[in-house]
Amino acid sequence: MTEIWQGFIKAIELIVSLDPEVMEIAGRSLGISMTSCLLASLVCIPLASLIYFHNFPGKRVLINIIQTFFSLPTVCVGLFVFVLFSRAGPLGGTNLLFTPTVMVLGQMILITPILLGLIISALSGVDKAILDTAISLGASGFQVAAVVLREVRYAVLAAIIMGFGRAISEVGIALMVGGNIRGFTRVITTAISLETSKGELELSLALGMILIFLALVVNVTLNRVQQR
Amino acid sequence: MRYKVIGSLVAVIVLTSLVLGVVGCGDSTASPLPPQERLRVATTTSLYDTGLWGYLEPMFEEQYNVELDVMYAGTGKALEYGRRGDVDVITVHSKAREEQFIIEGYGVTRVPFAYNYFLIVGPAADPAGIRGLIPEDAFKKLMEAGSGSFVSRGDDSGTHGKEKAIWTAAGFDYETVRKAEWYIEGGTGMGPTLMMASEKQAYTLTDTGTFLAYKGKIDLVVIVDKGDILLNVYSAIAINPEENPKTKIDLANNLISFLTSPEIQELIGNYGVEEYGMQLFTPCAGAEPQ
Amino acid sequence: MSLIEVVDLHQKYGERDILKNINIRVDRGEAFAVIGPTGAGKTTLLRLIDLLGLPTSGRIYFDGIDVTELRRMKLEVRRRMAFVLQKPVVFNTSVYNNIAYGLKWRGVRESSIRKKVSNILEMVDLLAYRKSNARTLSGGEVQRVAIARAIVNEPEVLLLDEPTANLDPISTSKIEELVANIIHRYDTTIIMATHDMSQGQRLADRIGVLINGEILQTGVPRDVFSSPLNREVAEFVGVENIIDGVIVSSQDKVVTIDIGSGVIEAISDYAVGEEVCACVRPEDIILALSRVSSSARNSFFGEITQVVSLGPLSRIEINCGFRLVALVTKRSAEELNLTRTKKVCATFKATGVHIVRRGR
Repeated sequence: MTEIWQGFIKAIELIVSLDPEVMEIAGRSLGISMTSCLLASLVCIPLASLIYFHNFPGKRVLINIIQTFFSLPTVCVGLFVFVLFSRAGPLGGTNLLFTPTVMVLGQMILITPILLGLIISALSGVDKAILDTAISLGASGFQVAAVVLREVRYAVLAAIIMGFGRAISEVGIALMVGGNIRGFTRVITTAISLETSKGELELSLALGMILIFLALVVNVTLNRVQQR
Repeated sequence: MRYKVIGSLVAVIVLTSLVLGVVGCGDSTASPLPPQERLRVATTTSLYDTGLWGYLEPMFEEQYNVELDVMYAGTGKALEYGRRGDVDVITVHSKAREEQFIIEGYGVTRVPFAYNYFLIVGPAADPAGIRGLIPEDAFKKLMEAGSGSFVSRGDDSGTHGKEKAIWTAAGFDYETVRKAEWYIEGGTGMGPTLMMASEKQAYTLTDTGTFLAYKGKIDLVVIVDKGDILLNVYSAIAINPEENPKTKIDLANNLISFLTSPEIQELIGNYGVEEYGMQLFTPCAGAEPQ
Repeated sequence: MSLIEVVDLHQKYGERDILKNINIRVDRGEAFAVIGPTGAGKTTLLRLIDLLGLPTSGRIYFDGIDVTELRRMKLEVRRRMAFVLQKPVVFNTSVYNNIAYGLKWRGVRESSIRKKVSNILEMVDLLAYRKSNARTLSGGEVQRVAIARAIVNEPEVLLLDEPTANLDPISTSKIEELVANIIHRYDTTIIMATHDMSQGQRLADRIGVLINGEILQTGVPRDVFSSPLNREVAEFVGVENIIDGVIVSSQDKVVTIDIGSGVIEAISDYAVGEEVCACVRPEDIILALSRVSSSARNSFFGEITQVVSLGPLSRIEINCGFRLVALVTKRSAEELNLTRTKKVCATFKATGVHIVRRGR
């Protein structure tokens, strides 16, 4: 119990004193996860609409697969991306392994099913009459998708928040493809894993609390947007 | 309403780019233009957990104007990174496997740069009564008595390799040892293994450096520290560019020269002496210690 | 040439026929009402005309072009029409945006959009709500938004599906006034579906009676009401007295119909032996306490079974061996002291009887 308490005190100390290394790590966590979340959203919103608005054989199966991938293990994604980008791997030539770029990519892969699945299910919740209304008022396919997405904008935002939460809290990908390089690819979760293995439990707890605090700030901000 | 949503989206994008910008700036201010080259070294955990790499990294970066990425990995993982060409140089401690690695053509040459001794540590009470024995006898007694737990790294690291070598030298088949009830495979780095052994009040095999670095945090004492088999040599191997053409052999050679240079050798020899009251690593500048 | 022409349209859902053999022509500027009971297939028909679905078979022509299976031009054609759904939904945004969407989608300039939306909002009396979220409006207001949203695009054809279903009488009359106004002002071709007979009569130039997926009769409202073609239409248009019988004699178009408990004389071209229904409008029946000598050919004695007051009129139900409903003024009902169990004589002219064939 004292450890948790001391961790809490230390967390507050580190935050209040704006400890440069901790701030850098937190900033990197936030930056990488926000980027991956943003890029994944840019891919998933159109893709989810495409899947939802088109009927094709195997659509049901595809959606089931997407939903299964909600619980994609982070280490599997990490391993997959590692093998892909390792110099001996098919994309080794890009020389991206152990860089923040490839961490962003890994996190995108991780959260894409969540964003796709949640956006599709948000779209499915739209009254069919909204679609008919838009079509009968002369909307093109693209315009229909845009207006229907607008109808579910808050559910889409909630999906993005979920995706961000999963991205910033995962450790498997960050560790495997990022390599936990100090000052370059070390993020909060990998730092926690390292500090714990070094026995620095208080620092680990402090970092954990900073992570939760960050997630809280992002959530509250987006929720404020949602409520407006 | 619509503008608010777009506005908040823009805000998120701006915020993201700001954060990325800050991170990016952090990198670029630390490095003069043109952008520095990055050299990747995969190191055995014991060199990382003791803080030696954290101590040497900035010196090397300053001297050669290169960004050094230190990857924390056991010897097995470090060798695999090397085999795949994902790092440019490795610092490991498992002589037989290093030689194999070079024969297979993945590494250029093996350059020993420091050594110390492995230790068998355990609870002060020494339940198996192995204190003062030579390692082979100590392991034999552990096996026969079965009255003390043993935590193994179990991660294919250099230390794990050494442990297996001792079991073999003691006359046991490692596969039968693994099946014993008191034998615990941690599957993790040296530091966490020590923590685990301390929690379980078990014996374990450790390198001197990591043990000293963790001494304050664990409840274990040295049980066996004598025996030729306990010699632990750290060497650096540049990855062979013929096998992995993208690796940076020149930078890798720079790092090896750096490690074996007289000034750095002296620093390695003195590292931790003040803090722990004894030498963590004995420098050996490119020669195999006897 | 007709603006909309529907030829031999069939729609099946699985084994069930939703629409059978539909043929309709609607001219430019005409207001056509599809009337029929709930579930007759009105909505399906309107959806097909708006190209929101593909018919099982048959063709739809718009302005002379076969648009049934158009792919590329579908959007273009649909943009010349507007469809107000039976239960209109609004987009979760302001009233203004709801109405502006169609124009934005057509790439109309912002300044022009502003002007048009304002005009329409004024017309539907919702100018004060322009900035409110449309989801906060009442049912009648939503219906007005939906109509405004449709006509702001100045469609050539306006499709209205039950525009006043589920509305209170005041909202209903407002909507009807609005539709009448549109017909008057824009010369828009209107095809509306309604189950409300009188609404069809009030708003449409022509009506088509759709029952069980079939158009049973088309014509100007007056003709359909006064001369239904068959029993189903007669029932639907509200003829209360429909008496089954068989023509037993015919002379100079005066036929005698055996209805089991007596005979009815009527004017008809049908031949002897034809199974028919005799339709008598309640207001064409005269009630008296004893047989009156008149030229009227049909007279039946019976006992009053029910008296219902309908404002200035009284609806009297009489059992003459068959059920007969008469409408008399309240005053005469009081004068004759028409109450339950009273015996009366019901009289109607042969010319007041409309004969329709039974079945198809």
